[in-house]
Formats: sequence, C-alpha cells, structure tokens
Amino acid sequence: MSQTAPVISPTEISSPEGDVELDVDLPWIVLVWNDPINTMDYVALVFRKLFGYSKEKANRLMLDVHEKGRAVVSSGPREKAEIDVFRLHEHGLWATMQHDK
Amino acid sequence: MVAAFRRARKGGVTVTFGTDESRVLRHVLAEMLDLLGSGDDTAGSSEDPLTAAVGIGTSTSAPEDPALARLFPDGYTDDPESSADFRRYTEPGLRAAKRGALETAVATLGEPGERVVLTPEQAEAWLRALNDTRLVLGQRLGVTEQWDELIESLPDDDPRLGLFWVYDRLTYLQETLVQALWTGP
Repeated sequence: MSQTAPVISPTEISSPEGDVELDVDLPWIVLVWNDPINTMDYVALVFRKLFGYSKEKANRLMLDVHEKGRAVVSSGPREKAEIDVFRLHEHGLWATMQHDK
Repeated sequence: MVAAFRRARKGGVTVTFGTDESRVLRHVLAEMLDLLGSGDDTAGSSEDPLTAAVGIGTSTSAPEDPALARLFPDGYTDDPESSADFRRYTEPGLRAAKRGALETAVATLGEPGERVVLTPEQAEAWLRALNDTRLVLGQRLGVTEQWDELIESLPDDDPRLGLFWVYDRLTYLQETLVQALWTGP
C-alpha cells in the first residue's frame, strides 16, 4: 500500500492512563506519513482545513510528506495530539503521534 | 456526461451526476457502508452497554481486512499499547463519522441529470466519503506510486481494469471537489 516508513524508535516509556502528569513536560508530535492514494492537493487542503495553515505552509508540509516520507504537522500535549490524529484519520490521512525527541 | 464539482455561492458546491455515474456511485457508496458496518461486528464482543453508550469500543488492534485497516490506522508510532488504548476510545466515533459522511453522500446524490446544490457541510462530507472510498478501492487494487505504469501493463481482459476505471473516475471527481473548496473562503 504505502512506501516503507522509516522506523522511529520512541524514547519515551509508554505510560498508563494514571501517569499523565509524568509526561506533561514532554511534547508530543503528530506525523503524517506518505501514501500512494491520497492526492497532493487533497492532503494540502486537509492541512489548511484542520490546522488553519496558509496555502504556502500547507503546500510545504504536503511536499515534505511526499518527498521525505513524512512530516510533523502539529505538536503539543498528549490530548491535543490525540485529537489531531483523530481528525487526520477522519480525513483518511495516515497519521501517528509520538514523543518529540 | 462527466460530473465535476463546481463552486457555488456561500461556500457550497454544485454537481450533476449522469445516469451511469449516479448508478455506480450509489453502488460503491453502499458497498462502503456495508464494509464499515455498524461497529457491532468486533469478533467475540458482547459490549458492556455502559461503555458502548459512551463510545468505547472493544477493538484493540487494527482490522484484519487491509482495506479497513487503512481507514483505521494505529494512532501511535511504534507503541502497540498506547495504540490499543487509543483505538478502544476512538474507533467507534471514527467509524460513525465515516459512516455519516457516506450516508450524506448517498442522501445527496440527487436524480440522474439533476443539478444538486450542496452546503459546505455536505461538500465536506462528500470529500471524506470520496477519499475513504478511494482508500479502500486503492488498497484492494494494490495501488502504488507507480500505478500508472501498472495499469499500462495489464492485459485487456484483466478483471482489475474495471475497478481501476472506477478508481480513476473517483479520483477525478474528488479533485474537482478539492479545487472547488480550495479557492473558497
């Protein structure tokens, strides 16, 4: 289906629900991965729509996804990252979240 | 007749589907709704009514069907535990959202030859419905970055050609919608 994604090893230890306070200082990043089905125009439109990015920034991010295999599209606390991932999945983009290094 | 979405006033869009297009779209959208099901099909589950009521599912791993799995990817990079938790809490809502978009598309197909006027919300639903449909079709066909060359190499009697044609048409249709929405407010 999609290009082989680079393996990125998370440095954080997966924390159970009760330890939310431990990772409050560690930012989360949301990645969008390239895939051969989503069109470039569509991906850029989704970035504009979901994150309010300018056309230029949306296009730049989309090109990063296309040429480098993935791009960081947003970052923040865990809860925000999860919402962003959900909305990206809602639009059919292949998105994952992980700790920023 | 080749349908194309066009901008309308106040952020909406218009489209007119011909008879054949309307028939194919109706069929494909119905198949998508069948594929997505109602969410009660998680194997071996008898959900606690309370958790089901607040939208928590029982599924902790991606669907076995690769096409479905593409619609419901893991939420965390290389973290099966967090992904499983995330899936339990979000998959039912995600499934419902995708179904909603498909149902809106079905409900606003209009009659063949009828000029349909869509609100911005309906246009957004069409965008997601078309893209999810393309994801499933593309997954089933094994679309890659080099799929143009792949089609060229298929013999004339390859059964995939028909499905590629539908995929191609949906891609064009979605592109016209993206263009119509891109230049909007």
